[in-house]
Amino acid sequence: MKTTSNKRLVGVDIAGVAAVAAVLSFMQAPAPAQTPAATKASAPAVHKLADGKPDFNGIWEALNTASWDIQDHTGQLGIPPGMGVVEGNEIPYLPAALAKKKENFANRKTADLTEANCFLPGVPRITYMPYPFQITQSAKAIAFSYEFDHALRVIHMEGQHPDPNSFLDTWLGDSRGHWEGDTLVVDSRNFNDQTWFDKAGNFHSEALHVVERYSLADADHINYEVTIDDPKVFTKAWKMSMPLYRRMEKNAKLLEYECVFYLQEERYKNAPFTKK
Amino acid sequence: MSRKLSSTITSLAAMLTTAWLGSLIPASGQAPAASEAAPKTTTLPALAYTPDGQPDIQGIYARRGIWGLADDEREANGPRGKEDPLEDDEYSELPDNPKPWFQGSGKNFSQGGGGGVTLAGPAPTEPRRFGLVDPPDKILPWKPEEDKKRRDFLMHTNPPASLRNVEYDARCALPGLFLNGGPFEFIQAAKEVVILSEYQHYTRTIHLDGRPHLGSNIRLFMGDSIGHWERNTLIVDTTNFNEFTGFTRTIPYLSDALHTIERFTVVDRNNIDYEVTVDDPKLFTKPWKTAGLYRRGKDYEMAEFACAEGSQELVNMFGKPPGQ
Repeated sequence: MKTTSNKRLVGVDIAGVAAVAAVLSFMQAPAPAQTPAATKASAPAVHKLADGKPDFNGIWEALNTASWDIQDHTGQLGIPPGMGVVEGNEIPYLPAALAKKKENFANRKTADLTEANCFLPGVPRITYMPYPFQITQSAKAIAFSYEFDHALRVIHMEGQHPDPNSFLDTWLGDSRGHWEGDTLVVDSRNFNDQTWFDKAGNFHSEALHVVERYSLADADHINYEVTIDDPKVFTKAWKMSMPLYRRMEKNAKLLEYECVFYLQEERYKNAPFTKK
Repeated sequence: MSRKLSSTITSLAAMLTTAWLGSLIPASGQAPAASEAAPKTTTLPALAYTPDGQPDIQGIYARRGIWGLADDEREANGPRGKEDPLEDDEYSELPDNPKPWFQGSGKNFSQGGGGGVTLAGPAPTEPRRFGLVDPPDKILPWKPEEDKKRRDFLMHTNPPASLRNVEYDARCALPGLFLNGGPFEFIQAAKEVVILSEYQHYTRTIHLDGRPHLGSNIRLFMGDSIGHWERNTLIVDTTNFNEFTGFTRTIPYLSDALHTIERFTVVDRNNIDYEVTVDDPKLFTKPWKTAGLYRRGKDYEMAEFACAEGSQELVNMFGKPPGQ
């Protein structure tokens, strides 16, 4: 995509700023004392890069069951039980959207395009799938690279979202980043309506607006908070939050989970198919 | 444009203190890739450096000279004439001079590479070497039995006799090192060079931290890349490829024994010479080399290249799989 001007607003649009402000005020509340003291004592301090920004470089992964269901859920065959990542647990669906969510759940084996066809899973789902991702950060650029489907999000630190009327919608959104102190805020729009938030049918429309906030609790833990807004599906904006963990293995690196290729090898192993 | 002046000053200071040290310290655990001598100090271009002392090559690039074969190279590596199942359907053309490279299709996702990228500066003034540069006669040193297999394979690619005969581009597969002309974006973090590709939206991380290669049972489309800088040349040693790396349509696959040595030599702020030594002892009797050039672009944002999500190629070729 070609940029047209070097005169750019830094950051997000008015709605994004409002959402960010809302999250910021939440952040100022005292943190619950749930982190074990031992962990806290041994955790290394946040490293800063030469440009003064906190250093997010490395391999990260969520450690929860949001990929199966972002809400509280009991274990089932093939589904690990889990406490949800939605703040307050309830998602404020519009009535028709709630019915759609239930329909999605019933049809999930074929209607979830990520599960059925290995399609790109959208944001923030890509973050908490059970695969690692890599943050590459320099003073000049920031990128998020994911092991699943070798997905890639380049976080544009300048410019504004393209006009949705003249820009094709995308699977992973158009991501614009800015710093609020030591927090990396990523504002994403221009999504399509094809992805879900999990395997349980929680969904959105093409009006989805996602604001992610990445802040380092220490060198090896990110506090990850997401505000979801979609007036076509929800009565109001809602939030998810979870820790992200640094992969501590020596020489940790992203490998390749080539879901599409593996699926082709299975589906087309006897091709060409005899035509009737 | 909100970058702070202070960060520039910090970078400059880091450059002054670490640039020369960084370029003179050999990466541990990495033998020099080739016997070629490092360029003399006097030939070093004026470069910016990253905080950890690497020549700063960050930015958007397009690449030419690697993807596809020039006419004489195709002629040398057949099949030819009536036996050529691909006719004149080769992807890449190699211009005699670099100027018209980016004035081709104008398509954002031009597979020839970088069709939508505006160049940041002029090409190097000296002529460059492109395409197959070794052996000089451009005839690849195939093992005869492997060349026969390859020619037989090509005769079953149009239409494809099986999934194996489908080009990787039509499968939305990762392209390996060769089947892509950009746009690329280079980002440098401490002890790594990360290359992002718009085409197939993949990430290549070149580790400069002295780590060993992965265990031999881990196989990757993009291989496992370990690198080090020798002055203004980034030398990258890549192994652990799977058997699905293509080179061109005419050379549709390399083997999992593939071992590449890439040399990215910074010519000036806007140009990086690129040379790859291809060693694949399962297919060839000796290594061979191909060369190209990365050229810096400007005012470009990488966009999403979703491929599998919209592709009907396999269905069109083979019909719908049973049960789909």
